[in-house]
Amino acid sequence: MKVRILLADDHEIVRRGLCALLQKHEGWEICGEASDGREAVEMAKQLKPDVVIVDIGMPYLNGLDTTRQLLQHDPNFKVIVLTITDSDQVIREALDAGARGFVLKSDAARDLVAAVEALQSKRMFFTPRVNDLVLAGFLEKGHAISRNAPPDLPTLTAREREVTQLLAEGKSSKEVAVLLNLSTKTVETHRSNIMRKLSLHSIRDLVVYAIKNNIIQIQMPQLRGTQETTVA
Amino acid sequence: MAVRILLVDDHPIVRQGLRTLLEGRSGWEVVGEASDGIEALDKIETLHPDIVVLDVTMPRMNGLEACRLIQKRQMGAGLEVLFVTQHDSPQMMREALDAGARGYVVKSNAARDLLEAVEAVSQHRVFTALAQIPHAAC
Repeated sequence: MKVRILLADDHEIVRRGLCALLQKHEGWEICGEASDGREAVEMAKQLKPDVVIVDIGMPYLNGLDTTRQLLQHDPNFKVIVLTITDSDQVIREALDAGARGFVLKSDAARDLVAAVEALQSKRMFFTPRVNDLVLAGFLEKGHAISRNAPPDLPTLTAREREVTQLLAEGKSSKEVAVLLNLSTKTVETHRSNIMRKLSLHSIRDLVVYAIKNNIIQIQMPQLRGTQETTVA
Repeated sequence: MAVRILLVDDHPIVRQGLRTLLEGRSGWEVVGEASDGIEALDKIETLHPDIVVLDVTMPRMNGLEACRLIQKRQMGAGLEVLFVTQHDSPQMMREALDAGARGYVVKSNAARDLLEAVEAVSQHRVFTALAQIPHAAC
C-alpha cells in the first residue's frame, strides 16, 4: 500500500523540491499540498495521510501549532517538522508539540527520506543536533534542557495562540474574526485575555512576544557588510 | 541556442524546486548548481552560464557579495544575475540592483514569477517583483 504524504510549506518552490525528492521513492505519493498551517489541518482531516511534513514558519498557523492541532484531532498523526533553525527552544517546542521527526531544511535532501522511513517503521527521526540535546539532558538529568528554557509564561489556549499569531502578522480583529469564523467581539475578548495574561500593553509588545516564542518567524534584512540574522 | 542557467542556493531542496520549475521550459538548460557564493564564482568560470539565479543568504559568501564580485571581475560576457530570495523588502531589492543584478524575485512567489523573470533577464531586461507590489519588467 502506498505511503501517503501531506506537505505543508508556504513556499511553492520548496514544495516542488520536496515533491521531486519524495516522489522518487517507490511506493510514496504526495496526497496533498498546503500553503499554511490552517489549510494543512483541514487537508489532513480530510485526506488522513500517513505522514504530515510541516514547515515551522508558516502564515496563519505556524508549524508547531499545526502539529498540536493535528495531534489533538488524531494522536495517530505522524508529523515531521521542517525548520531552518535548530535552537534549543525550537527543538523543545517541537518535541512538546508531539512531532516524531525533526529535520533541518538545509539537510532535507539528505534526511527527509530517512525521516519518513523511520516514522513508517514506528520509529522517530531527529536531526543529530536534537539527539545531542536529548542525550545531554539525559546525562545531566534534565538540566541541559531546562537550563536554556524560557521563563515560565502563562499558558495560552490553542485558540489564543492562533489569535496571537494572526494579530502579530498584522491582521485586524475584524480580519482575524473572518479567518477564524468568529465574531469580532469574540476576537476582541481573546485579544484582551491574551494581553492581560501576558502583561502586554501594545501590539508591538505582542509582536515581540510572538517572535520570542516562535509563534512567528521573521528574517532581518541584511545590510551591506553586515551578517544576516535569523530571528526565530 | 539554449539559455544556460546556474542555480545558487544553500538549500538543496530549494535548488531542486527551482530546477523542476526551469527544466520544464524548452530552450533553457540548468547547467549546474552551487551552494554558496564562492562555489558560484568557481562554477561561473567553468560552466559559462548566461544567467545566475542567486540566493541572498548563504554561508561563506552571500549572494550580494558574489554579485558585486561578478561585476567587479567582469565575469562572463552578458552574464546576468537574478536574485531569488526570501527578503521581501524594497531596501534589499535596491541593494541587489545596486550590486548589479538584473532581476529580483521573492521566494514565496518564485513559482509565479520565476519563469517571467528568467525570460526578461535573458533578454537583458530588468525584472523586479516583491510579494505585495506588482512586478515590473522594462
